[in-house]
Amino acid sequence: MGGRVTAVCCTFLVVLLANAASAQQKIGDPPEASNMKLVGTNDLQARSAYQPTIHHQGDKWIAYIGHHGGTDDIPDPVNPMTGKPEPNGTSIVDVTDPAHPRYLRHITGQEGRYEAGGAQMVRVCDGKDLPKGDRNAVYMLRTFGSEAHEIWNVADPAYPVLVTRIGEGLKDTHKNFWECNTGIAYLVSGAPDWRTRRMTQIYDLSDPAHPVKIRDFGLPGQEPGATGAVPTELHGPISTGPKGNRVYFGYGTNKGGFLQIVDRDKLLNGPKEPTPDNLTFPEIARMPLSAMNGAHTVFPMPAMPIAEFARDKDGKTRDIVMIVDEAIQNECGEARQMVWFADVTTEARPMMISSYTVPEASGAFCERGGRFGSHSSNESMAPVYYKKLAFIAFFNAGVRVLDIRDPYHPREVGYFIPSITSATDKRCLTIDGKERCKVAIQTNNVETDERGYIYAVDRANTGLHILELTGAARAVAGLP
Amino acid sequence: MMRAWPVIPAMFLALGGLSAVAGYEMAPPRAAAWHEIVWPFPRDGWPAGRAFHCGAAECGADAEVYLRPKLGFCNCDSGVADDDEVDRVADVDMISPRFAPLRAGDVVDVADMPGRIRVYRLDGSRTAIGIAVSHRCDLMAVAAQGRGDAARVQRATLAFLGSQEIRNWMTAALEGR
Repeated sequence: MGGRVTAVCCTFLVVLLANAASAQQKIGDPPEASNMKLVGTNDLQARSAYQPTIHHQGDKWIAYIGHHGGTDDIPDPVNPMTGKPEPNGTSIVDVTDPAHPRYLRHITGQEGRYEAGGAQMVRVCDGKDLPKGDRNAVYMLRTFGSEAHEIWNVADPAYPVLVTRIGEGLKDTHKNFWECNTGIAYLVSGAPDWRTRRMTQIYDLSDPAHPVKIRDFGLPGQEPGATGAVPTELHGPISTGPKGNRVYFGYGTNKGGFLQIVDRDKLLNGPKEPTPDNLTFPEIARMPLSAMNGAHTVFPMPAMPIAEFARDKDGKTRDIVMIVDEAIQNECGEARQMVWFADVTTEARPMMISSYTVPEASGAFCERGGRFGSHSSNESMAPVYYKKLAFIAFFNAGVRVLDIRDPYHPREVGYFIPSITSATDKRCLTIDGKERCKVAIQTNNVETDERGYIYAVDRANTGLHILELTGAARAVAGLP
Repeated sequence: MMRAWPVIPAMFLALGGLSAVAGYEMAPPRAAAWHEIVWPFPRDGWPAGRAFHCGAAECGADAEVYLRPKLGFCNCDSGVADDDEVDRVADVDMISPRFAPLRAGDVVDVADMPGRIRVYRLDGSRTAIGIAVSHRCDLMAVAAQGRGDAARVQRATLAFLGSQEIRNWMTAALEGR
């Protein structure tokens, strides 16, 4: 009897261990996919990637991809085009033919490893759209590590030209937003005299060669000279421009986050001295998340028609904000970071209405290595997917596709987990004083273009994966 | 002359006594003088840490220390960069959201981890100490409060943090154990 029990226990243990082992990716394993397929890849010179921005310029489609700093093992990867080691910066890739992306140029970033270097963020505006821009120019706004922001003319993306640099001596930078039709830029910065690493410096970049500072903005308690508790830091804003007259700010990373809804006109034209009253003046509402979640991306989707409410006398359409937390710990070492949907139709009383996470058991993701949880969503508002499908970067669970037509009931309709390669970097934990490392895909950011291609980039140096939808997911978008 | 000789030993005795009292008051309390208490704060984004109390008899003034790891909350390269960072991360706001620094902070080393320490004034006559030290990308946040002399609270807190038991716990906690 005892022998049988032992045998059953051993079998159970073996099965458990086998499951854990099989969850880990191996080089040569095929990608895991549902209703998505791989179109093309580029290794991005094995640089850790953050924001991809896809821009249609002339008859070309160009991907601008921001990078974190290098790793301990390879602080400055070699650029094969120059043969020289270069601190991670911005990759410029011609993706006109998505099956054969062509690496055009690497612009070096700030020296430094991981989040201390590189040039993570990138936004692009055409000069012809900016009120005072050079009509022939295409402007790329990027962060320069933690210390500054830069604007480059990338009209010829293979030969970018530096236009100007903004905000020397910052404590940090992060996820900026730039309104192309007005030139107003919300630069996530750490002004030296503010009590936080990340707040907002608002600039008029309608003439990118001559930036004009409008104001500093943050939460009361973060401003210079304040005392007492310091509110959590900003992650990034998204503006709806003068027409929507709202700026949505996401605060926090994986903890104590909240959504702040701000009146854009009051923000830009109200009193600018950073006093508690002036910082509160443009705020319409603040919706806290659980203390266990932060807000990396806050993506507005105003006036969404909700089919279920179509026959109701009131509330047929709803203003929705999708909130994406950022996981930062490896192997589930924190509360789950995921996706939330808030109904902000009555702005003073925003309400969380639904959530989404990848089921952990569907891939034993806590065992795979690296981070598991959400990081960011696509931010393109092009009609092909806007208010229909959302794409979420979920680290070792790859890209997840959500049908959000009914944001009260978001539903996963596809996913793609890229294969690892020899370039994929390890992710380690310290256990009993010793490092234990695993290698896993770490899909960090995702963006879409007007054609419907999906661009996923990897934090663990695996590069760029260009994807397209198939099957039921493609049908949701109405793509042929 | 003859009458002076008993005065000299008496003076030595008196001075010795005073020195002993001063020495007792200045000496850091033994770690055993600290008693673990229930974490007194409501749940926030970080898991609860450990809290300890030391009475006036042992520490010269009632003092409490709260410490917990904040994994992944520190700049991996620059560590705890400045006093603003101590204001933000050291959990003094859990004691009271209204605190004001008494002066600029100092560098500190706790359990071989570098960081900064700063003294604050809370409501009333209370003093708080904020300490943030880092190990790679992780942080150990320490807040302490007590009544009376800030220097005494700071000395008692640092002595407590230097005890082997607490050093071992901090090392393990920063590994997620």
